[in-house]
Amino acid sequence: MASDKELSDFLKSVEKRAFKRVAYAVRDDDAALDIVQDSMIRLAEKYIDRPPAELPLLFQRILSNATMDWFRRQKVRNAHVRNFSDFETTDEDGDFNILERLEALDSSAGTESAADSVSRAQILLVIEAEVSQLPGRQREAFTLRYWEELDVAETAQVMGCSEGSVKTHCSRAVHALAKALQAKGIAP
Amino acid sequence: MKNSNIAVYPTGPDALEARFAYRIAARLNERAEALDTDVSERLRFAREKAIERAQAARAAEAQVVSVGSAATAALGSGWWVKLGSALPLVVLAAGLLVIQHLHKQAQISVAAEIDAELLADDLPPSAYSDAGFVEFLKTPRD
Repeated sequence: MASDKELSDFLKSVEKRAFKRVAYAVRDDDAALDIVQDSMIRLAEKYIDRPPAELPLLFQRILSNATMDWFRRQKVRNAHVRNFSDFETTDEDGDFNILERLEALDSSAGTESAADSVSRAQILLVIEAEVSQLPGRQREAFTLRYWEELDVAETAQVMGCSEGSVKTHCSRAVHALAKALQAKGIAP
Repeated sequence: MKNSNIAVYPTGPDALEARFAYRIAARLNERAEALDTDVSERLRFAREKAIERAQAARAAEAQVVSVGSAATAALGSGWWVKLGSALPLVVLAAGLLVIQHLHKQAQISVAAEIDAELLADDLPPSAYSDAGFVEFLKTPRD
């Protein structure tokens, strides 16, 4: 059973990322704060008897469900349309070679780039904007996998899909971000 | 021949993707750490509220456990509780047996009274098997 301190430390460690992730999805800071607060309370009330090691996965699941509930309540059709777009293939890439692009971005990290004229804060803003513009499922997979640092199986469990789908969503998200950031001359 | 002094980093598509993704995640972390004060305060308030609820949930759970254990202590050990719950059934079965016995005794005593009256009467019991006497009894008298 997690003690008050363990629960508090855990919530403190995830609350900012949780808020940001929900805010990317719902695009409303007040709603995102409400969803995070509801998720924290649900975790504290229902799962306080679980060992501390189980809290991260439980919290992510509660947060995802709470966000989904919010969309259901709001009946935001656009969110569902965005989700469906994950299944569409994009042929607009043409001869776009993602490996070349990633290698170029990888080698340019920490070196001079076109983005040097832009302040660091602005770069961060652009990166955040690009992440928030990803299709919902891709963004969820990407943030759970690389930001929350869940493994593929845990991410699949939170998202309620197969591990193969998680890999596909993550790969598409990385490709989309690489393409968008390079178009703006930004190396993360 | 491979030079073992040169560090070899994975350069496959998966490794490139992962390195890029973790760099993006690091930038997202920087943004998340620079949240507005009011948002940070609301998150702190939410966290404290969650801790309060956790304490309330623990207290409620402890109360249920203590009430349960007190009830068990008052009733004694498990065997006594089981015996106590079986007692009404035993009483009911005993009551039914007593009622059946009393009913049988009542039937026997009624039959004995009839037999005693027949034997004590001046008229012999064999008279009732005589058809003429039965007809005489049925005939209305003036």
